[in-house]
Amino acid sequence: MSVAEAQAAELSLERPSGLWRDAFDRFRRNPAALVGVGLLLVLIIAAVFAAQLAPHEPNQQVGPLSTNPAGPGGGFTLGLDEQGRDVLSRLLFGARLSLLVGVVSVAIGLSIGLVFGAVAGYIGGWVDTAIMRVMDLLLSVPSLLMAIGLVTLLGRGMVQIMFAVGVTTVPIFARLLRGSILGQREADYVLAARSVGVPGRRLLLGHIIPNSIAPVIVQATLTMATAIIEVAALSFLGLGPGDPSLPEWGKMMADNANRLESAAHLVLLPGFAIVISTMGLNLIGDGLREAIDPKLRS
Amino acid sequence: MLKYIVRRLILTVPILLGLSILVFLFVRALPGGPAIALLGERATQESVEQIEEELGLDRPLPVQYLSYLRNILSGDLGSSVSTRRPIVDELKQRFPATFELAAMAMLFAVAAGIPLGYVAAKRYQGVLDNVSLVASLIGISFPVFFLALLMKYVFAVKLGWLPTVGRIDVTRSLEHPTGFYLLDAIIAGDGEAFVDVLEHLIMPAIALGTIPLAIVARITRAAVLDVLGEDYVRTAKAKGLDPSVVDRRHVLRNAMLPVVTVIGLQTGLLLTGAVLTETVFSFPGLGSWILNAIRFRDYAVIQGGILFFAGMFIVVNLLVDISYAFLNPRIRYR
Repeated sequence: MSVAEAQAAELSLERPSGLWRDAFDRFRRNPAALVGVGLLLVLIIAAVFAAQLAPHEPNQQVGPLSTNPAGPGGGFTLGLDEQGRDVLSRLLFGARLSLLVGVVSVAIGLSIGLVFGAVAGYIGGWVDTAIMRVMDLLLSVPSLLMAIGLVTLLGRGMVQIMFAVGVTTVPIFARLLRGSILGQREADYVLAARSVGVPGRRLLLGHIIPNSIAPVIVQATLTMATAIIEVAALSFLGLGPGDPSLPEWGKMMADNANRLESAAHLVLLPGFAIVISTMGLNLIGDGLREAIDPKLRS
Repeated sequence: MLKYIVRRLILTVPILLGLSILVFLFVRALPGGPAIALLGERATQESVEQIEEELGLDRPLPVQYLSYLRNILSGDLGSSVSTRRPIVDELKQRFPATFELAAMAMLFAVAAGIPLGYVAAKRYQGVLDNVSLVASLIGISFPVFFLALLMKYVFAVKLGWLPTVGRIDVTRSLEHPTGFYLLDAIIAGDGEAFVDVLEHLIMPAIALGTIPLAIVARITRAAVLDVLGEDYVRTAKAKGLDPSVVDRRHVLRNAMLPVVTVIGLQTGLLLTGAVLTETVFSFPGLGSWILNAIRFRDYAVIQGGILFFAGMFIVVNLLVDISYAFLNPRIRYR
């Protein structure tokens, strides 16, 4: 057997395993990441089955109006709010809003950011310079301030708010994908694909982007946590959804910020609901990062 | 080095210009103009037009922009539409407040975060390491305003240890030559006032500094772990260098580079967080000022405030880039 044949035989003994399969295996063995998945599942189940799980309608008055509403325990698992509404039901329906906000605003930021990042990274030259300078410009405005500005400009509907928060994340994704593509553009496999005549568009969409996307996915998970916090912060500042009946967590906190003494549960419960969601997403994001990039593995 | 600084400064000019256009257009696009904001929804057409003429809002946009730019360059940011006070005066008063707050928050984050991350890395996978990882995860996941509310409730309302609002006790008289209250108290030689100001700063600063603290700790841990595995650290140890010297001169110094980057980036986020922290603690800084301006469509304040905010961010990033050179002599700027 020649040396080449020997090597070939040796190689074929290994089960071929791709990056994603490897990553999945590593992710599955990471306890912290699994805790994150658990927390996220809680959020998803609460959001999807809010109507089935909630004992009452989120806006239904089921108890007395009171400046000193009943806390957890008693007839209502998590107590009532000042308008006699069931807190548990409102929290569950609030999960819907938060999850929606997280997913949609990141999807908006991600898709715009990916287009800019891909164009800048792939075309290069003055297009790259122009796009990246605009991104620098956007990054120089603190994100919450920009979101506040956009909401003031566009109005306070849920769609506008998700758009505003999404836009603030565009430069992050654009930069990340651009950097990642720049690293791939000169790689051997790209050269190989180009030399066998793969057209530019397919080269970008079929080869370069799939190989550059890993860090973007990690960032998207982490950004989802930020987006949830940011929308809650907007609500907290009185710039949340214009519809006052929406059980948005940040708004629930803002409405009761001065009732910490008499009805702490009205601030603490939505607060911890936010923390659980963001913690779940952060744990998953970290887990994914470690799974995808073996260098960062501890 | 000097050439590099000059070049970086020149590069910030187009960014600031672009920013001024962006902010200028944004403010003009806001629904309802400042005249309406000033006169109320039921203002007559004539009075609206009169105010708009007074403020120069009836001229074409490019003309408005150019005169605005000319004013900025001569150091005149205009006056607040609602209070009629010059923006520059207001900035002089509010910038020191936010600066003091942000500086204290950063001090807290760095002073606690670097040792925490360092110790966690040295005790890699030990109890302390895991505790610090969990703690930093909690720190990152907590919304700033929630933490601020909790602290306010526990330490101010329940325990009564710290004051709830403002920068200084309203009954205290203290001259403000600098506007930095801590500095003012030192200048006046007033120890009590100094403590008072510090007490007003503690909670907002910790609330604001928690996320940067968590991030600084994480990055420090990762960076120290990286450096500990380097050949030059093994060499230094092998040649019998005192372990504390190895840690100080070889490990920490080399690990600081990513940490400094993150500190710079976090400073920008700190300014964002300041909007929330200042709101919870009624702290009279830039954040709450701009927020109110947006609510009341105070054109001049929004323009001046956001430009100033972004300008600060750019300066901070410049300082970070320059500090690289001091920390890492391998970087030579051309």
